[in-house]
Amino acid sequence: MNGTLRQRLRREIRILQEEPWLMAMAVWLPPLLFVIFWWIFSVGSSFDLAIGVVDLDRSDLSRTLIRQCDASSAMAVEQQYATVQEGRRALVGSEIYALMVIPEYMERDVVLGMSPRPTVFYNGQYILIGKQINGAMLKTVGTLSAQIGGLKALATGAALPGVVGQVAPIRGQIIPLFNQNTNYAEFLVSGAIPAIWQILIVMVTAISLAAEKRHGGLSGWVAGKPALALFSKLLPYTLILWLQGVIFLVGMYGWLGWPMNGSWAALILAQLLTVLAGQAMGSVFYLLGRDAAQALSLAAVYTAPSFAFMGVTFPATDMGWPALVWRSLIPVTHYINVQIQVANYGVDPWRLWTSFGALLLFIVPMMLALRLVQRLAVGPAVDKVSPAGGEVPA
Amino acid sequence: MTWWEIVKAEFLAVFSSHAIVLTVFGGVVFYSFLYPLPYNHQTPREQAVLVVNHDGSTLSRKLERMVDATPQVRIIGHAHSEDEARDRFLKGKVAGILVIPEGFHRDLMKGRSPVLIYAGDASFFLVYGMVIEGLATATGTLGAEIKVGRILATGQPMSLAVKQHTPLGVNMRPVFNTTMGYVHYVVPAVFVLILHQTMLIGLGLLGGAQREQTREGVDGYWLRVPAGVLLTARLALFFAFYFVLAMYYFGYCFSWYGIIHLAKVTDLLALITPFLLAVGCLGIVIGQLIPRRELATAIVLLSSLPLVFSAGFIWPESALPVALDKVVQLAPSTPGIKAFLRLNQMGADFSQIRGLWLQLWLQAVVYGGLAWWLLRRRQLFYQHHLVGGGEPLSLDPIEVDPTRHRAPPVVGPVPGDGVGPEGHHA
Repeated sequence: MNGTLRQRLRREIRILQEEPWLMAMAVWLPPLLFVIFWWIFSVGSSFDLAIGVVDLDRSDLSRTLIRQCDASSAMAVEQQYATVQEGRRALVGSEIYALMVIPEYMERDVVLGMSPRPTVFYNGQYILIGKQINGAMLKTVGTLSAQIGGLKALATGAALPGVVGQVAPIRGQIIPLFNQNTNYAEFLVSGAIPAIWQILIVMVTAISLAAEKRHGGLSGWVAGKPALALFSKLLPYTLILWLQGVIFLVGMYGWLGWPMNGSWAALILAQLLTVLAGQAMGSVFYLLGRDAAQALSLAAVYTAPSFAFMGVTFPATDMGWPALVWRSLIPVTHYINVQIQVANYGVDPWRLWTSFGALLLFIVPMMLALRLVQRLAVGPAVDKVSPAGGEVPA
Repeated sequence: MTWWEIVKAEFLAVFSSHAIVLTVFGGVVFYSFLYPLPYNHQTPREQAVLVVNHDGSTLSRKLERMVDATPQVRIIGHAHSEDEARDRFLKGKVAGILVIPEGFHRDLMKGRSPVLIYAGDASFFLVYGMVIEGLATATGTLGAEIKVGRILATGQPMSLAVKQHTPLGVNMRPVFNTTMGYVHYVVPAVFVLILHQTMLIGLGLLGGAQREQTREGVDGYWLRVPAGVLLTARLALFFAFYFVLAMYYFGYCFSWYGIIHLAKVTDLLALITPFLLAVGCLGIVIGQLIPRRELATAIVLLSSLPLVFSAGFIWPESALPVALDKVVQLAPSTPGIKAFLRLNQMGADFSQIRGLWLQLWLQAVVYGGLAWWLLRRRQLFYQHHLVGGGEPLSLDPIEVDPTRHRAPPVVGPVPGDGVGPEGHHA
């Protein structure tokens, strides 16, 4: 097919309009998925996690402890059990996330100064939930202990200012940096959305190239000007997918009002480079075998685990070198680096040249894609060649 | 065609498709190495902490040494001021800051309870938790030592003093994943999802490819053998594949990664069976609904992250929006992940996962029925429109020659269905 850039772009828009699945993945599914992610975590960070109690003491103090656990925003006492065995069964069946066993004679031991210790068994299989309960429990018991200690000190005749020093010789003030309300959900969402965006970028690229095969054949498409053919094929999606990126940025840092401490321009530039990098990979995946199913299988293997490598849940600083090597090959990990540094820390974009540089290195797969298109232009009519994969023997 | 011949034909179809082999076998094996890779170190330990020491007393340096000695954090250096610490933080490589106030030692001795400042990067939940835990542990220990010293000063014996420094304590014991390791957290759940997703894609690709060929005029066996026979043959084949792959994951991989597995083999098999049947039937349904095979991969890939976040192991089920929680109950992965974790990692007995087990059976039956109906409907459609008047379905091997090509289809490609004249030529 020949034609000027303008004609080719107009044709690409027509193909997009004729392809409902491509239209869905490039245009309306991305914002829908962004909203779904926000929705999943929309409850935020304070939730009443169900815990159970076995109260073997049955004293005023044990009842106070249970009440204070229930009053914590992170926990709710769901059930009391008569025996540890019953409580254990509930914990194992995930009816409760933690089981507090209050020992016999707890109140008496407190009075005698024996420092009794209730035991809390919490579900470590769900790490995030377990850590929430751990923190809330330590705080609740610590507060109660301090109250008891304060009363004891007062009872021995200490003056009020001195009581604080006796109960807690050293105090700590915790300052959460960059995420003042320590809202983990916000942070997860701000990582999950770019992850799904990258999946869409790579997929849309492969599917748009596959659409060409159905709309006129690849040979006709590359004939004459292979570079222009590739450029005009990718450009409309570059713009659409870039816009999708800007949409989620505006959604997160504008509409939802999450703190944005740095340069919008730097973020938006990083997004453009991420789109181009993803398009390079998507093009290579398709052009290698020129089979849509195989291209998407490669895209799946490549992009599906990206979220784990982004370092949003588990920090990249604690990954081993094999993980860091794979991580560096995925565009969105460099993008998320820029997003966190710029939006959360307000870092000067110039300090992030390594991330921008890494994204620029995806020029290599882009050159490879170009090379494959050029080979297609001079090679035999590829549309007649059986695709490399996917045919069920008839 | 006999049942076994259909199984054989489907087997050949699977192994002649690069995309299916790549996803089902390549994907499952590749992911078994790749997914746990970021978490090899299990917990983020020894986080880098900067100290701003405005006091400079011996006691403050003792506190620094105690902080450094905790497994959670290590001190990587000192800053002269909070501003300098903040600046170095932004340059990276620092996870937390400890500020020791001026007059720390003096205030402590006078019983004035000095205030230390622990600052950590709250964006990263795990890092933040580690930093605060490390700093709080070290100061707690120092505080306790001082209290014990004071009690000793009143003439109490050491044994009593040690007990008395806190009126009420608490033992926090993580269970199931006792080390709170990240591999042990992610792998058991995500591996179930990988089996689920790759099986859906594999079956979707197979069904989608047959639809494409049907449109191109190939008169395949899938149009001629009874729908129920085709369904059971395909299901049996993928069940066999995924049974082996599930054994690889739950057996070999879990042992390799040292993941706790408590379930009895019979219980595990009793759960794997409805899980694979439900996923298999859903995969066949997807294969009948998509116009082109690659869309199976696209749909399933896009569903992965939403499914994993709403499966209840990352984010508590009680904190999910109710409507969303209802919708994700349709995916076998949701009851599947919960049931496998409870049975295998937490040691629940089978009666405790019966509800989830029944949910999987229900899905298997409903999706199975739907799959049968869709396969049958398509067969009737093509027999009616293309063959003209419905050839009787037959299991007679002579009747069906799978390589026979029909005349070009009478009906053109469905608009928007996307197969133009440049489609595949087998």
